[in-house]
Amino acid sequence: MVAAALVEGDLMKPRMRKPTLPNLYLGLSLALALLPACAQAELYITIVQGLGGETVYEDQFDEQRNKIEAASRTLTATDKVSSFSGEGATRAAVLEHFRQLNSRMTADDRAVIYLIGHGSYDGFDYKFNISGPDLAATDVKQILDALPGRNHLLLNTSSTSGALIEAITGEPAPRDDAADTAAAGAPGKYLLIAATRNGNERNATHFGQYFAEALGSEAADLNKNNNISVQEAFDFAAREVATYFEEGGKLATEHPQLRGEGAAQFSLARLDEIEREPTGTDPQLDELQQQRLAVETQIEELQLRRNEMTNTAYIEQLQTLILRSAELSERIDAERAGSAETPTSTNGNDRF
Amino acid sequence: MPALRKVLYPARLLGGLLCATLAATCASTLQAREQLYGIYDSVELLNCETGFWSGQLSTADACYRGLLASTQPAAIKAEALWALGDIQAANSMFQQATTAAPADAVARIRWGELFMQTYQYQEAFNLFEEALALEGDNAWAHLGAARALQQGGDSDAVAEHMAAVDSGLAPPGVQLRALIMLVRTSLEQDQHERAQETLEEAFELARDNELSLLELHALQAAQAFMRLQPHQDFIDAALALNPAYGDAYAIPGYFASITRRYREAGEFYQKAVAVQPDHWEAHLELGQNHLRLNQVTQAHDHVRTSYAGDAFNPKAVNLLRLLDTFIEDMEVLNYPDPPQGPFPTLELRLDKDETGVLQDYARDLSERSIALYSERYRFTPKAPIIVEIFPNHEDFVVRSIGMPGVGILGVTFGYLFAMDSPSAHPQGESYHWGTTLWHEMAHVFTLEATDHLIPRWYSEGISVFEEWRTGPIPGRKIPLNVLQAMAEDKFLPIAKLDDGFMRPSYEDQVIVSYMQAGLVFEFIDLEYGFDKIVDILYQFREGISAVDAIEKSLGISVDDFDKHFKQFITIEYGEMLGQMPLWQQDHKASFAALEAENWQEAIAAAERANFVYPDYVEVDSPYIAMARAYARLDDKDNEFKTLETFWKKGGYAPRALMALAADYRERGDKESALQVLNDVIWADPFMEEVHVELGDLYLEQGATAKALREYQVLLALDPIDKAAANLKLATAYNTLGDHDKTMEYLMTALDIAPQYRPAQMLLLELNRAQGSAGDTEDTPAN
Repeated sequence: MVAAALVEGDLMKPRMRKPTLPNLYLGLSLALALLPACAQAELYITIVQGLGGETVYEDQFDEQRNKIEAASRTLTATDKVSSFSGEGATRAAVLEHFRQLNSRMTADDRAVIYLIGHGSYDGFDYKFNISGPDLAATDVKQILDALPGRNHLLLNTSSTSGALIEAITGEPAPRDDAADTAAAGAPGKYLLIAATRNGNERNATHFGQYFAEALGSEAADLNKNNNISVQEAFDFAAREVATYFEEGGKLATEHPQLRGEGAAQFSLARLDEIEREPTGTDPQLDELQQQRLAVETQIEELQLRRNEMTNTAYIEQLQTLILRSAELSERIDAERAGSAETPTSTNGNDRF
Repeated sequence: MPALRKVLYPARLLGGLLCATLAATCASTLQAREQLYGIYDSVELLNCETGFWSGQLSTADACYRGLLASTQPAAIKAEALWALGDIQAANSMFQQATTAAPADAVARIRWGELFMQTYQYQEAFNLFEEALALEGDNAWAHLGAARALQQGGDSDAVAEHMAAVDSGLAPPGVQLRALIMLVRTSLEQDQHERAQETLEEAFELARDNELSLLELHALQAAQAFMRLQPHQDFIDAALALNPAYGDAYAIPGYFASITRRYREAGEFYQKAVAVQPDHWEAHLELGQNHLRLNQVTQAHDHVRTSYAGDAFNPKAVNLLRLLDTFIEDMEVLNYPDPPQGPFPTLELRLDKDETGVLQDYARDLSERSIALYSERYRFTPKAPIIVEIFPNHEDFVVRSIGMPGVGILGVTFGYLFAMDSPSAHPQGESYHWGTTLWHEMAHVFTLEATDHLIPRWYSEGISVFEEWRTGPIPGRKIPLNVLQAMAEDKFLPIAKLDDGFMRPSYEDQVIVSYMQAGLVFEFIDLEYGFDKIVDILYQFREGISAVDAIEKSLGISVDDFDKHFKQFITIEYGEMLGQMPLWQQDHKASFAALEAENWQEAIAAAERANFVYPDYVEVDSPYIAMARAYARLDDKDNEFKTLETFWKKGGYAPRALMALAADYRERGDKESALQVLNDVIWADPFMEEVHVELGDLYLEQGATAKALREYQVLLALDPIDKAAANLKLATAYNTLGDHDKTMEYLMTALDIAPQYRPAQMLLLELNRAQGSAGDTEDTPAN
């Protein structure tokens, strides 16, 4: 995720063919971070869809689950995407799933857990509403604690979901009047996202709808790498939630929060059909793709070293690498038979 | 008078010349320390007072100090401390006085007046109430309570206390103070005959009872000034009694200020502080007056002086903070730069964070309006016109009247006007900044063409008329509450139209008066021609009243004018006014049906509403309900037609216009799309999408310079998608053949998003073009 605070810059004094750039605070989405940490690492995605209670919510949750499933399959193999919904989404089934998953996962693997639905909070305990006994905050914490490795993601779109974060981290939830809830502060093991700032925001939320939409939206992909990171999806959804309430002239009843670090490096979806592994059938294409990945890695390394060189030198090197990447892309495009369709999204809001 | 009531009127309507209505907040009505007028009978204290109020300040000073060293009661010592300027000690001493003499009403009254001087009106009121609890018929306490309540605008409660003062049993000093209050109120309301009668009564009372004439002379000077009569003799009479009496000038200064004669107000206040350098109120008003005349440095000096002498005044604190904002946050842009004459035509003062967004649009609209008004009103500005646009509404209000918390949108002081930025209003609120600017600019011309002698209604009426006739969204916009007032025959006779602004007798009367004034000019223009409007305008400069000017220029009596105007209103609105209840019913039904997802009923109800009142195009217009319903039915043609009608009638809801622009584009009508998008700018220039759409359209049409402007504004908005914004700029510069700028923005885009394919492709294209041109200089090696 790129944050473009201009620290110093000489944008107003360009020189011939040696354009200069402001120093940018860069949060790089490393190309290799699209995948789990090493070649053998895997990404396991679990989606738990809770009870809607009413048809309108059932339909919404179905739609969100479908979008998340589709997005997840752009990053990981189908057998690593697990979904629970309706009568099948029981506490026992979910707990059993994670017991089995723990035995499959290695310390290098990453897990993503989506909780889509309604939640409740009685001032003491948070519960995610599913068929049969609800999933309690302690259940979720145990699931997370038992996962091998680190840097996993839990996303909870439910009402009162801020209370779950409080239960997991042991840190008090932000007050109702807290200005910024997208603060860091989670333990290094997980990234945590909730639709609400605390357990007092009890209305059905809109955050999940926008988060699911982000996973297939070019508008969310601000660094244009065809990859939607956790940070990009969260920012997109948070913006849309804010806009929804502002434009409707309504008091916001939900304030999403993200805790933990590394959200910009954690990929959740790809917008195009990128080759995750060599095709094995087109050696030339495989070679070109590997070359491009290598160039992209060089670009990221260059950006990390930008403060070690003059702006002119940086720009020259960046330009060289990007030209190389562009040429490779052109050749890859020529080599590939077709191109992936860009997922599109719609919602039922009025245009005006 | 509802002086402090917060009034929020529909977006475009409230602005202009507010000081007459908001007199209590526009300038101070209080003096530093007032005369005792006989509340005490202590000979020792009155000796000191006589010295003080006759200007023998060192003698008085010694006298007050003598009281402190004596065995005088605590209340008398409190008075001495107060007179010596030690407010904190006076406060403590009054506390001692009331503790020592719990049944002493007078000590409480005077303590309350000390609180009045330190702007703590609630505390003051509480003390007057305590005094009344001790002595229910104490006229001093009733008067004090009335004055405290007047600050809050509770006219009924004020009247109740004043009735007790008027009982005839009040001591002469109270009666005199009450008469002085009445003179002030009469002058504030432009009721000169009543002011004169009251003044005469006050002089007689004061002379009969040997009370001070100082304030009466000053008020008489103020009245003479307001009536364009010689006034210096009255000031001299006051100064003859007390050469150090700053109020001899400050009181006329106050009345000059609330009648918008700021240049003269400044001269009065300047003289006030010259004869009484410790007149902190006068320093403050002088500071604020300097600010209105764009003399920022002098303003700072006097406000600081005032604050150093009287740290209690919240207005001084507010203004000091505002001046910091002026210096730290605002940027000044002159046009043309360098000037093509003795001075620039236009000076924009914008917040640095908003300059990149607003400067071109504000300049464009300002220059257009200046050119138009110069011609229409036969007036060439004799100084630069200064337009200040504040992103913080309260900063703007403090800049205008010194205190926050008032629902105004723009205020004109002459060649300078201040207004809210569109960013000062939350999304979803209907604020059309383009119309506000247009409205205020008209005031600049009507004020300056008449040397600020124009009646309030005339200036406001012309500004509203220009909004409708020539503004960014032409067409009459009459709010529903005004239509209701029309239906109830609440319009005022032309001779009394100023009362609607300055002495409103019901909640909506100010806005009703704005609209009536606008309609008056529609009528004059239609019936007599526009030139008559200007002819009348120039008579004000000669001191001719509105009634005389109208009768002279139009050749009819104002009674006949009123009759004809009423006929005009009946012709224009009579039929529709009779059906307003039906309209309201259908308007409500259309949105209710929309909410219930009953699309057909929403359309039917909106159609019925539009049939009755087709020109209602505010953000809750039935056209909006209808277009939304058509959209839900996927009836694109009717959705488009509805939005088009809405726009052509002056609708400005930004999201609706964006949808219409997209429809025009789909239909290949790029010119109309451009017009619609440009209209969005006057409502919400902070919307990213409008600049993207405008830039792309301009680029498609080959208007690259205009496209570039839109993309520059887009980047100035700190957009979410910075890579895309930089690429758009690079593309525009590339079209213009500016290679350096192209590369600058292109590489910024690629630095943000190295894998951004369209940007990569442009780089590749540029590189190849360079290569094919044989220019290998600096070409990166692969």
